[in-house]
Amino acid sequence: MIIITGASRGLGRAVTERLLESGLEVLGLCRKNEGLPFEAMACDISNYEAVKFVAQELKQGKKQLTGLVNAAGIASMNLAVTTPPSMTQKLIQTNLVGTIHCCQIFAPLLIRKKAGSIINFSTIAVPLGLKGESIYAASKAGVEGFSRAFAREMADFNIRVNCLAPGPIKTDLLKGVSDEQIDAIVSQQVVPKMFQPGDVCDLCEFLLSQKSSSLSGQVLNIGGV
Amino acid sequence: MNIEQSKSIVRESISEITNGEVEPTDEMNLIGKEAELDSMKLVELCLTLEDKAGAIGFEFDWTSESAMSRSRSLFRTVTSLAEEFLAQSEMGK
Repeated sequence: MIIITGASRGLGRAVTERLLESGLEVLGLCRKNEGLPFEAMACDISNYEAVKFVAQELKQGKKQLTGLVNAAGIASMNLAVTTPPSMTQKLIQTNLVGTIHCCQIFAPLLIRKKAGSIINFSTIAVPLGLKGESIYAASKAGVEGFSRAFAREMADFNIRVNCLAPGPIKTDLLKGVSDEQIDAIVSQQVVPKMFQPGDVCDLCEFLLSQKSSSLSGQVLNIGGV
Repeated sequence: MNIEQSKSIVRESISEITNGEVEPTDEMNLIGKEAELDSMKLVELCLTLEDKAGAIGFEFDWTSESAMSRSRSLFRTVTSLAEEFLAQSEMGK
C-alpha cells in the first residue's frame, strides 16, 4: 500500500488517481475524506497524534506499506513583510512539520520490510529564490534539507527518500497567481514550458518503482534550474 | 509481567537483532558513546519490542511525546528500557 497525503486535490489527487489506474493499492490522507472515489482517511498532517492514529490503524489492519508520497501542502504568495505571522506558522507547520511527522511516523512501517520509497514535495521556488514566495520557499527548503539527511538515515534500511520540486503546474495551489507571473517563472526553467500534473505523476511512479533504485537523497527540479 | 521478565524480554530482543553477537547485560548502554548498538539496531530493537508487546496484548509506543522527551533515560540502559516497557504494559492492562 502507498500512502499519499493531500490526496483530495491538486497534485496529491492526480498522483492518487494515477497510482490507482496503475493497479496499486493507495490510501489517501486529507483533511476531509467525504465523497472521495478512493480509500481515504481524514487526517491533519500537521497534528502528530492524528498521523500516529493512521499508523496505528494500518498496523492493526496488518497493512504492508511500500511507499509514502507527501504531497500535502499549502502556498501563500506574499512578500515576507506583508505575510501575517499566523500564515507563516501555518506554512511551516503544514509544509515542513507535516512532512516530517509523516516521515517519522510512517517510516517504521517501511523499516519492518526493509524496503520502500518516500517522495517529499518541494518547489522550484527554492533554487530560483522567487520573489513573493520567501516563506513558502523557506518551508520547502526545510523539506529538502530534511529529506537529504533523512535519506541517509533510511539508507541502512533500504528505504529511499527523494524530493520532487515542480515549477508552476495547473492546480488549486496556483490560484491567485497571474499568467504573467507564471510565464516569468517558467522562463527561468531549463526547459521553459509549463508542465502538467501527468508529468509529476510520471516521476512519482518512477521514484516509487525499482527503476529508481539508484536514487536517494535527491531533489528533482521539474523543468530544471 | 514484572521487571525481571521485562528485562529478560529486552535482553532476548537484543540477542535476536544482533544474532547473538551482543551479550546484553542490564546495565548495557543503548545510546551515547558507550552504546553497544548502532542507531539502526536501536530502531530494530524498538520494532521488535513493539511486536513482543503486541503478542503480550499491549501497544509499546516509543514514538510518543512522553517517551521521546524522556528518551535519554528511556534508552539509556537495558534496565531503563525494560522499566518503560513494563510501565506501558501496566498502562495497557
